Formats: sequence, C-alpha cells, structure tokens
Amino acid sequence: MTNSLNIEQNLAILDRMLLIRRFEEMLIDLDQDHDFGHYHLYIGEEATGATVVESLIPTDLLLTTWRNHGHLLARGTNPGRMVAEILGRVDGYNKGRGGTLHLTDREAGFLSTSGLVGGAVGLAAGAGFALKQAGEGNICVVFFGDGSLEEGVVFEAMNLASLWSLPVLFMCENNNSGAISAQEGGFPSSEIAASQISDIPKSLNIKSKLVDGADVAAVHAVVTEAVSNIRSGNGPVFIEAYSERWPGSRPLWPEQATGVTQLEAAWDQTVITGEHADWVRKFDPIIRFIRSQLEAGLFSKDELFDRDRKIQNQVIEARAFGEASALPDPQSALDGVFAA
Amino acid sequence: MTAKLNRPQSIKLYKDMVTIRAFEEEVRKMFSAGLAPGLVHLYSGQEAVGVGTCATLDKDDYIASHHRGHGHCIAKGSDITRLFAEIIGRRPGYSLGRGGSMHIHDPETGNLGTNGIVGGSVPLATGAALSAKLRGTGQVAISFFGDGVLNQGILFESLNMAALWSLPVVFVCENNGYGEFTEIDDVTAGRPYTKRGAAFDIPADKYDGMDVLVVYDAVSKAVERARKGKGPSFLIFDTYRYSGHSVGDKQEYKDEKERQLWEARDPIQKMAKLMVKMKLATKNDLKKMDEEINSTVVAAAKVAKKMPVPGADDLARHVYAP
Amino acid sequence: MPPDSSANIQSDRNITLKAAVLEAMFEEMKCDENVVLIGEDVGAAGGVFKQTEGLFETFGADRVIDTPISESAIFGLSVGAAMAGSRPIVEVMFGDFLTLVMDQLVNQAAKVHYMSAGGFNVPLVLRTGIGIGGSLGPQHSQSLHSWLAHIPGLKVVMPSSAADAKGLFKAAVRDNNPVIFMEDRMTYNLKEHVPTGEKIIPLASAAVKRKGVEVTIFAISRAVHTALAAAEILLEEKNISTEVVDLRTLAPLDVETIVSSVRKTGRAIVLDGGYKSFGITGEIAATIGELVFDYLDAPVMRLAAPDIPVPYSPSLESLMVPSVDQVVAKVSTMFGDSV
Repeated sequence: MTNSLNIEQNLAILDRMLLIRRFEEMLIDLDQDHDFGHYHLYIGEEATGATVVESLIPTDLLLTTWRNHGHLLARGTNPGRMVAEILGRVDGYNKGRGGTLHLTDREAGFLSTSGLVGGAVGLAAGAGFALKQAGEGNICVVFFGDGSLEEGVVFEAMNLASLWSLPVLFMCENNNSGAISAQEGGFPSSEIAASQISDIPKSLNIKSKLVDGADVAAVHAVVTEAVSNIRSGNGPVFIEAYSERWPGSRPLWPEQATGVTQLEAAWDQTVITGEHADWVRKFDPIIRFIRSQLEAGLFSKDELFDRDRKIQNQVIEARAFGEASALPDPQSALDGVFAA
Repeated sequence: MTAKLNRPQSIKLYKDMVTIRAFEEEVRKMFSAGLAPGLVHLYSGQEAVGVGTCATLDKDDYIASHHRGHGHCIAKGSDITRLFAEIIGRRPGYSLGRGGSMHIHDPETGNLGTNGIVGGSVPLATGAALSAKLRGTGQVAISFFGDGVLNQGILFESLNMAALWSLPVVFVCENNGYGEFTEIDDVTAGRPYTKRGAAFDIPADKYDGMDVLVVYDAVSKAVERARKGKGPSFLIFDTYRYSGHSVGDKQEYKDEKERQLWEARDPIQKMAKLMVKMKLATKNDLKKMDEEINSTVVAAAKVAKKMPVPGADDLARHVYAP
Repeated sequence: MPPDSSANIQSDRNITLKAAVLEAMFEEMKCDENVVLIGEDVGAAGGVFKQTEGLFETFGADRVIDTPISESAIFGLSVGAAMAGSRPIVEVMFGDFLTLVMDQLVNQAAKVHYMSAGGFNVPLVLRTGIGIGGSLGPQHSQSLHSWLAHIPGLKVVMPSSAADAKGLFKAAVRDNNPVIFMEDRMTYNLKEHVPTGEKIIPLASAAVKRKGVEVTIFAISRAVHTALAAAEILLEEKNISTEVVDLRTLAPLDVETIVSSVRKTGRAIVLDGGYKSFGITGEIAATIGELVFDYLDAPVMRLAAPDIPVPYSPSLESLMVPSVDQVVAKVSTMFGDSV
C-alpha cells in the first residue's frame, strides 16, 4: 500500500502510538496500586486513532467513548492531567468528577465522552449541525465501537446527518474480531443481523468505507479522502476500521496479556513468547508499523529505542504528576451543577 | 400476480374496505359535531393495506397498530359499535371510554392496541412474536407503522432483533407520503426505504398499497415465511390518506393534483371494477352491499351515541391487574 | 404452583443478596415455563456481576436470551411479549439506563392494563442495579426510583437484604403488573439467613426491622443498613430508642405501617439513596404530615443524596451517600441537641 504520508507524519504517528501504548501499559500497573474502578484500554487499536488525527485541524471537534485514552493522547492531551483524572484528583481534566469514563479535553476539541453505548453519536450529529451553521469548514469526528450500531439513537443521528449533509466523520472501530465468547469468559461485542456493518449507513445513503484499522497508510488514505469530502460539504462519511481485539481487552477487566511491549519483536521473533504470541506477531499494529518502516528506512533501531525511551520517561512523569495531585476538596462538590 | 381468491373471500375484502370507509365518515361527522373529543386520525384511502393484511391472519394472530388505527381494528374483527363507543368516550367502548381513538385494545382478536406514540407499537409486535415463538404456537404478529417510523431508532433496534432471532413478525409500513404535515421524502435519508430492512438481511420489498389483492398476496407470503420459522419481512406499501393528519387539518401542504391522481386509484373502486370484470358480483350487487353496510354503520353510530359515559367509579379501575 | 418439595430445610443458610435473587429466579423459571430472562450479557456470560450465573446452562437459549445493546426495543419487546402471554424478567444493566426505556415503560407498560380496561396484562419484572460507590461516575451511579414510583401503573420494589430480596422477587415475578426491582450494588454481597421453601413476601408491605419508641427512621435499600447502624449508636451514646422501618416497596407504599410507627414514636426521619429534591423522602414526609400530624413532636426530617451529579473522585463520591454519622447527628437535633 503506497504510503502517502511523509517522513514527519510517519514519525509523528509512531510517537503517538508509542505514547498510547506506554501510557496504557502504565495504567494496568497503576490500577494494581490504586484500584480506580473499571477502565478500557486502546492497546491494539493505536494505529487508527494516531492516524485519524493526522487529517484533522485544531478547530475540528471530536467525540469518543469510554475507550478514549488513545484518542485523547493522539490529539495531544496532557498525559499527566489524564492520570490525575483517572485517579480522581483535582488536577484532572474533569477535576476528578469524570474519571476514565468521562475524560474530556476541551482545548483539544473533545466535546464529551459517553459512558453509554451510542451516546456520543447522538451528540456528534448536533456538533455537526452547529459546525455547519458556523460555516467555517470544520468537521466533527465521532469514534464509537461496533456495538454502538445496536442502539437506535445511532441510527437516528446518522439519518439526520445524511439528510442535512452534516460534516460528520463516523469512525466505527470494530474490534469484534478476536473477542472471545461469553461462555469462554469474554465479553464479545456486537450482535447485529447485518452481514456487513456498512449496510446500515448505506441504507441511509451515507458513503461507507472499510479499512484495516491496523494499517497506518491505509487508514490515512481513507480518512484523508473522507475528510476532504466532508469539508467540501458533501455530507457525512462512515468508516469501519476493523482490528483484532487485543487479548488483554477480552475479559471484563483489562489484563496484561501480552507483556510489556518489546519493540524488538518487529525484527526478532524469539522475543515473542507466551499464549498470545500470535497476536503480537500478526496483529500488533505498532510492531507491524515498525517492521515496515524499518524496511523503508524511516528510522534506525537506535533511533527507535531513543524515541521509545523519551516517551517512557514522559509516561513516568505523567504518572508521578497524577499521583502527586490532591483529591478534590469536598467543599467544591457543589460547584458547577448549573452554568452561571 | 393477483391472488387467487374465491367469491366469498373477494366479497369480504370489498365489504371490509367499504365498512372502514363508511365508519371513518361517521367518525368525521362525530368529530365535527363535537362528540369525539381530542384527536382522531382517519384511515380513508388506506383501506387496502389494513384489509389485505388482516385477511391473511387467523383470529389469534397479533396486530399492533398506531394512531391511524380504526381500519386495522375493523379489519381484524372488532365490533364497530364498541369502536364507535370508545372513540366518543362511552363506557361500553374497548377501554371503558377512557382510551379513545389512540388507545383501543382488543385481546380477543389479538389486537395489541392502537397507539399514541409513533413507533411505540413496533417493539410490542416484535415481543408478541418472540412470545409466540417461545411458546411454539405458530402465531405471527403484524407491526403496522407509518412512514414516519422509518426514522425512529426503535424500528431499527426491533428489525435487528427480529432478524437476529428469526422472529415471526411482519413489518408493514404504510407509506402515505406524509409525517403529519411534512413530506416524508424531505426528512428521510436513504433510498429506497426498503434498504432499512434489507440492511439486516430481512427480505424487503415495496408494493402498491392501493390494490387490496396486491397487499393480500404480499402479506400472505410474508406470513407464510414467518409461520415456517423463516423470520421477519419488511414490506412497504405506497398508499394515501384522503384526510388530513387528524380531522381539522386543512391539508394546505397537499397538492390538489396529487390528490386527484391518488383518488383515481381508489382501492374500493378498483376492487369493485375487478369484481364486476371477473363476474364475482354485478354493479347492482355492489350497490346493494354498499347500502347495507352504510345502514349498518350509521345504525351502529346511532347506538353508540346513546351509550352512557363512564362514571367517576370507572376512573381508578384497572390501574393494576389483580 | 406446587410448593417447594425440598423437605430438607437447612438451618444455616447465610447467603448473599445476589445469590438469593438468583435462587428466586431459578425457582420461578423452574415452576413456570412462561418466565423468560432477557437482557445484555445475562445468558452465556452469567451477567456482568455474575448475577445470573447458571441460568443459561440450566434453561437454555430459548429462555435466557442475550440481546444486542438496544435498551429501548429490548424493554418494548418484553412488554409486547408480556401482553402475549410470556412473563419476562428484563435486566437493564445499570439503573441509569432506565432513561433509554422510559417511553416503553411509562407510555406503554404502565398504561396498557388501564387503557385496555383490563384486557391486557403486562406481567414483567424489570431488574436493575443502582447505587453510588466504586467510582462508576455520573452515568452509572444513579437511583431513579423516585421517577418510577411517580408513574401510575408501575410497582417499584427495593429490597435491602437477602431474605427480603428472595421473597420479594418471587412476588414480583408472580405479580401481573410491571414491577421494577432495584438492588443497590453495595448490598449484593451482604449475607443473611435465607429460609428455603416458598417464602413469598407480598409487595406493598413494609417491615419493622428494629423496634423502638422515640423516633422512626424510614429507609429503603442500602440506607436501611445505615439506619440500623445509626440506631445502635443512638441507643448507646444518646439513649434514644429508635425504630427502623424498611419500606421495601415504594409503589404501592405501605402507608399503614408508616402511620402506625409514627403514632407510636412521634418523630420521623426519611433516609434515601436517591437525589433529595422531588423524591420519595418528600412524598413520605407529606404523607405523614397529612395523616398523623397530631402525633408529631417534631417536623419530619429527610436525608438523601445531594442534588448533584455523582462525581467520580472517591473523596467527592463519598459525600453523596448519607453516612451513619450524619443520620445520628440529624436524629439528635430532633431531640434538642445542637450538633
């Protein structure tokens, strides 16, 4: 697949993916120490989030779900303040009121993250409406999973977006593949009678595309075209980006199922061991990207390790920042129920 | 592709349509006379869909209707005097006169009710189908809904589950072109509308809803499929309402020419012409039937008008089942 | 229905509330084949809190039905199924998601029996988990029971402990009306002795959980435990004899037990885990005022969650739940203490 990304862009994407990966790995550890309730990791899906943002401009708006860390980090959200929020501390983006399920970064263009399946999609149609009224060429991207297509509100929102040619990019991240069945102790995703998920938006006259969510170049190509179309006023686009679910995200609570990522896995098969070696070998989007970009000479192994080290340090700092932040003052609890 | 119907069957179809037409005319008069409080939504023009559909069903098959449901109730076999009574709020009505036009339920004919919520009855029909399947009775359910429901999330959710579980439900969309005062094409994305059902791999098709035999044919096949355990169908019937959204609506949003085009396709006249042509009845036979039905309907209305209103004692009854 | 045939009654059966409700489900599904369980992840997965474990294996996919994420239609479908002869138990994963079923619940289920003048019944149980705790955040922590109790035609049941939960759940399944059965997640693992056999507890019956003569604490669900703990302290430290009434059912309310208790004690405080304003605490206070005003020695007091979306952070979240100390302090003020 021809890579329409230049060197700078590819490196930026790599950095984003590494940041997301190291951040999410740190969270598993953090949870052992702090037990901050239920959370959802973006491991295995980094290529999609990290690449989508490449086609956006700072004034575009975004909406996402409870599986939001990857989207936020990709957009440049401060990881330290994210950790603080996840721990319910006062320096968190939501001042400790939202936690991981409702992490939002207004400056980065995020309107809201919904704890309810499909909730953000309804809001996205509204954001698109407002953006169209404003007429400044901005778009709204809404990330959601395959399960969201079971909720009626998603259908209603898509119908309106199509009817009114709203500037919305519906990014469906389908990680159903690789989910294990309930009998095996997993929490599978969708139960949809459609043989192709895209038949649903197509029935509403929305242009739909399917892409391998783990293929950076492919995602970029599809998203760039979609975004350009939407900005031209041609109405919404639906992209289904599929990925093979990371084994650690199969059970109800995230587990460190594949071990802390070793970048050498991209060229040294011997480091890939364990029950889920196959996933690392075949489906890990970061390993895939490194493998192909090493070949293309984007960076040397040393440069790669260098970048990773810097990022790991960033994550360590973020964790420290979050842990050092104080719990919110009880007196502040009543603030902000209503806007002034 | 006309269904092969014998004389009694054809006559029943004709008579049911004429009954509905006469009934709605009486309702309109009652409304104008101030006897029917609230809102009434007339089915005139759409008779072929209700009649053609219900003619394929057994008494214990289910239907779930909507605010424009008098025709469904009649076609499914409810008593017209009690229907009148309910519409004008009299005690012998189907809901003790406390429901009115939009809340008529008749358990004896499997009628899960007319409904005041657009789309509200779609999951009810789907659930009745689920129950029938679980109980293994072979019953089917018809979900009647209008074109406005094509944009309701709950339709979408119900279609998905009906398909997923192969439920014996037939989704019958009466597309009369208008959602209240709005042209449906203006507010519905995606063509053709049948794709909404087809997206879930449900057999979906569109038909002429002004031809009762076409309706009968299409629904029979869908009902058979459902009874054989082959799951749901999604049928769209193009039809037209002669009246406004509700009585009192001046219909300024409608085109006179459009109205004439549809009236030329009137389902009752079409059936009459066919019956004469096929020698199932003479013009005189039909005239006689029309007159008899008219008398019956007018007489029923008269009886209903004399019926008592519910008393204060009836107010709190049936809040809970015993 | 035949009585439970297990003649061996174990004398020591301390089981959790969660297990007790599961037992009730097994029993009801065994004795009436029309009872079906519908919900997200209730079947093969045994429920997100393992609250329906084993049912799928015992009764199969025809009676334990896993659904897509379509709350509106799932519940609407259950209403239709109930009208057609099934007796569904519908699980809505979190009480907050009741917002998604509101139309079908309020405009359909609650009114069908009335609108059809008795022609159709809607015999179903909507089971859901509620309550603040575990930092689940503002969209997963609400208790919307006041909204539901407000609607004519619905019944709302909220057990506080295992034995009640089992008996009330069985009653709920056998009731021919839509019953919303809500359990506070924080009570799931509380153990209590639960007798075997057909011990059905009628709906609309409150229970005096602790006898006292000077003040009554009316409470529901988790708050009952707070009330009992507070009552102990009130006796030991302030020598105040406190009666605790577990309301158990909100709609219909057992007004008789409420007024009897107030006639006896003369003081009342209502404790609730839902938001304070426009909720059940106001309803009960008004009822007491209307019916037994002459018996009151002090105004009726209320303690509930403040009118704030439930925040995620533990330090703030804990402020949302009326504590034992707060109850003790509030009751004390009713006796002239200025705490």
